[in-house]
Amino acid sequence: MSIGRMIFSLLWALLVVPPAIGQAADASGEMAGTGYFRDQDTVPGSLRFYSQLPGGEGKLWGMGPGKPKIRRSSFKQDAHEGVANFGPEVRCKKCHIPQTKDLHYLRMGITCIQCHRSQPVAGVYHYYSPLNPIRRHAYVCAKCHEGATPSFASYMVHEPNPIASATRNSFPLLYYAVWIMLILAVGVFLFFLPYTALWWIREFFAKLKGRSSHGR
Amino acid sequence: MADERTRLKRFTPVHRLWHLGLILNFMILSVTGIAWMFFETPWGRGLANLFGGYSNTLQIHRIAGLVLLAGLALHLIYLLTRIDWKDFPRSLLGPETLVFQLVDVKGFIGHLGWVFGINKLPRFDRWSWWEKFDYWAVWWGLMIVGITGLMLYDPVLTSDYMPGWMLNVALWVHRIEAVLAMGHIFTIHFTVEHWRPSSFPFNAAMFDGTMDLEEAKHEHPEWVARLDKEGRLGEALATPPPVPLRILYFVFGYSIITLGVFLLVFAIANAALLTLF
Repeated sequence: MSIGRMIFSLLWALLVVPPAIGQAADASGEMAGTGYFRDQDTVPGSLRFYSQLPGGEGKLWGMGPGKPKIRRSSFKQDAHEGVANFGPEVRCKKCHIPQTKDLHYLRMGITCIQCHRSQPVAGVYHYYSPLNPIRRHAYVCAKCHEGATPSFASYMVHEPNPIASATRNSFPLLYYAVWIMLILAVGVFLFFLPYTALWWIREFFAKLKGRSSHGR
Repeated sequence: MADERTRLKRFTPVHRLWHLGLILNFMILSVTGIAWMFFETPWGRGLANLFGGYSNTLQIHRIAGLVLLAGLALHLIYLLTRIDWKDFPRSLLGPETLVFQLVDVKGFIGHLGWVFGINKLPRFDRWSWWEKFDYWAVWWGLMIVGITGLMLYDPVLTSDYMPGWMLNVALWVHRIEAVLAMGHIFTIHFTVEHWRPSSFPFNAAMFDGTMDLEEAKHEHPEWVARLDKEGRLGEALATPPPVPLRILYFVFGYSIITLGVFLLVFAIANAALLTLF
């Protein structure tokens, strides 16, 4: 082994390995990426792939899902580390019922593991997690949605209940949009259904009385 | 022949064509949309299977949506050609247009009073307030479902122009507006146009283009009086449509009504089985 190579290995061992050592990187090829794939993995010249969330932090865009409260387990290599009664044989649905009520799970029949990957399930903010927002669109979304961008990946697969009061803080635009639409829809029915019923009754009795068909 | 001219021309062939196109498109979108929405239920899956399963149902829904939006664009162009630009914007007002005016507020209050037996039925001109409402409801409804529908058409492309989480919002708005539109058509529109004692069992005016003159004298007395005063009543009269056409209108109309009621009833019956919240 040449001296240069030895120095390189030493530097590698000192500077590069320690930060990652606690995270026990999966040896499989896709997990070993730097995460900075955007500059390398996309088609040159297709500018749209490089855009993050369009619009930045404008008024409307600021009403999206806010910065989520991130649990410590979301940074762990094994998100279920220390969870009581957890084992590889436990079904996800046993604890994650709300996460099964969305289009991906219910309509497309996508299973948890197709996005959250194999055991142990990594926290989504773990450096090597395929669901880390830095590579989520390429490693997870793009498996089905060709050309998925970071912006696209900000779609909330496990969306909150839009009418729940907690959603006002966690995803204000969804909360307000759904409430406004519900009030509009319910308002139309609350007004027109009784109105139409009364109208019908009025005409019916007018007809019974043998006057003209319009009760005049 | 003069005796047979008992009908009053109300809708032009172009009007009728718009309405027919709207019906066909709306029903395709309703069936495919409901099949998709209820896909988890056996009923919804059955509906989707009629269109070749989940993906095909979605594809038909998308194409029909584009056709409807193209129709809306064509309708806008049609409107622009129908406006009397020499007298604009005054030409937008008057009894022949569908623009809401003060007379419609009066008409609404008067009609409300009549429903409660307080006053006589207001003397409507060519368009009553609820007919104008029905027309504009399609506009705002189509704007809402159309814009959100376009956003959902290609989610990846859409997320180039706005954050991807806007799709969460778009899907919910699309759903609620679609339910509002279907609910309105399958209950209120059908009742007002076909099931009211004065229209029952079927009002073919929108298909045939004419309405009974005697009926018009009750429903739209101001219109008939105006035509008479202007000396245009004679030219506005028409003969009743031939019997085969009347049968065709009735059969077509009731096929659509039956389909609408079928969707409504089964959607309500299956609503509890929906697991999206």
